[in-house]
Amino acid sequence: MEKFLLLIREDAEQRGKLTQEEFDQCIQIMSGWVESLAQAGNFISCEPLQHRGRMVGKDNIVSDGPFIEAKEAISGYFLIHAENLEQAASIAQTCPFVLAGRMSMEVRPVIIFGNE
Amino acid sequence: MNKTDHMIEASVGSGTNRTVELTVERLYRTHYGKMVANILNRYPDLGLETAEDLVQDVFAVSLTEWARGGIPNNPPGWIYVVIRNRAINRLKADKKMWVVADAGQAGPGGAAAGSPMGEATSSMEEVTLQEQVVDDEQLRLLFACAHPDLSPKVQVVITLKYVNNLKVEAIARALGMTVDGIDKLLVRARKKIREEKIFLVEPNAAGLVHRLPIVHKIIYLIYNEGYKPALGEAVLHEELCGEALLLNKALLDNGLGDRATAALHALMLFNAARFGARFGPAGELLDLEDQNRELWSKPLIMMGCDFLRRAGGMDVGWPVASLRRPQEGMTGSGIVAGNVGSFKGGGVRGLGRGVPRDAAVTDDVTTYHYEAAIAWVHCTAKSWPMIEWRLISKLYERLLEWGPNPFVQLSYAIALFYAGERTTAFSILHRLLQTPVMNQYYLLNATLGKLYLLEGYPDQSREFFTRALGQTTLVSEQEFIRRKMESIGD
Repeated sequence: MEKFLLLIREDAEQRGKLTQEEFDQCIQIMSGWVESLAQAGNFISCEPLQHRGRMVGKDNIVSDGPFIEAKEAISGYFLIHAENLEQAASIAQTCPFVLAGRMSMEVRPVIIFGNE
Repeated sequence: MNKTDHMIEASVGSGTNRTVELTVERLYRTHYGKMVANILNRYPDLGLETAEDLVQDVFAVSLTEWARGGIPNNPPGWIYVVIRNRAINRLKADKKMWVVADAGQAGPGGAAAGSPMGEATSSMEEVTLQEQVVDDEQLRLLFACAHPDLSPKVQVVITLKYVNNLKVEAIARALGMTVDGIDKLLVRARKKIREEKIFLVEPNAAGLVHRLPIVHKIIYLIYNEGYKPALGEAVLHEELCGEALLLNKALLDNGLGDRATAALHALMLFNAARFGARFGPAGELLDLEDQNRELWSKPLIMMGCDFLRRAGGMDVGWPVASLRRPQEGMTGSGIVAGNVGSFKGGGVRGLGRGVPRDAAVTDDVTTYHYEAAIAWVHCTAKSWPMIEWRLISKLYERLLEWGPNPFVQLSYAIALFYAGERTTAFSILHRLLQTPVMNQYYLLNATLGKLYLLEGYPDQSREFFTRALGQTTLVSEQEFIRRKMESIGD
């Protein structure tokens, strides 16, 4: 099994409008999906991200986020195990929020060093 | 819902010949996937969608034809011939006669392509109703569905569709998804099946034996879907568990399985033994300590023990090796006592004391071995107070060596609590509570509610139960929580 990062992108404006209760409900739906990933042995870890942040770059200039167009802001990540990139993408497609068209996921293989 | 579903339901409603309906239903359940794969193999140019449409159409046609003219002597043969003739007609219409000619010459019947009836005769002999519950073609399709490019969920859906021959609506109900959701997954899966020629070019099951771990996972996931306590009809769920057991048994019977297959079988049997006892007389969920152990199926538990012994492989030195060298065992000293020599003592109990992780014999020790061992300890405990929680917690520790899994950690913490390590248990539970996935997880909050109550902290207990109540939409789980909260008192 290889390791993959799933970078979650969603509309920050839409997400900002959620009440705490609605946000909790989203997390519950995600938990259900994560449970199925764990059962299948694919889950490693995941965390949601706050929208605010800082961008640090050349000449030590620090600027405020958001860093990308708010429509596809990075709102969280998953680390998963999968057989290959195809399967990792196929797994990402089964996320209920991806199925509902509310999120997209960027699927990136993690580089592993050494023999194992 | 597909066309056949509609037609079958329509005719059921109108009360036509019930025998015909049952025959067609049964044929569908045993032959759908095979028919699709078969016709696709013979006429690859049809494409998957057309092949599925043809097969569904012919199943629908058989309902009316057989109600009028009687059920033929060889029902699957009849269906197959009609499908084949329609396939040829379809290809003719597409002006692709050369494909038919090729297929006709290459086919086992060797009949001329121009005479479909000639071909039909030979195929009537070819296709007879299989006596085996799961036959070779289904096993081939099972390994084909275990394609490493597909997500486990999609693998499960197409296995249920093409190997177990469940209709989309039944799959949706069984998996707690919408028909639309299943359709979306199927659209993508079909694209993959078409592009990769998954049903066409795959060799027989034995040639794909390297996919066995994926096949195990599919079977295990199907079983788990069936074992979930509260999503809809119990009958449907029992059926899913049954399908998983049948598929797994077919692997073992056909020499395709290994020790993991046996361990998985033991695990499923142990859980099946407790299937009904999880609910009270009114269908309410019961705590393990409140379940009537008399209701657990002893024959299933015995069978489970048998498969677990096979999975352990007395001849391979595991887990017998750890019994022979007790000084190398782990620290679980209380576990070892007694029963040495019997299966209980010599087999899995040795496992609790530590399986050597370095030796070659451990290569095929899987998570199924540990999960089966945990289920075995539960099944063979004479009563709730007799459960060997320390042994169970050790087994969960081993399970966690496969990788981080917050859901296994939750079970581990519960085992630790009952084993007397309450402080460690609570610190694990609170650490889990800080993770985004588990914070909103019903079972974690319900567990904290229950354990705080046992520890004599009604206020904390009520708080966690209240949180849990808002985290499940399942009525049975909500009622379970409400009963717990009532028991707290004021």
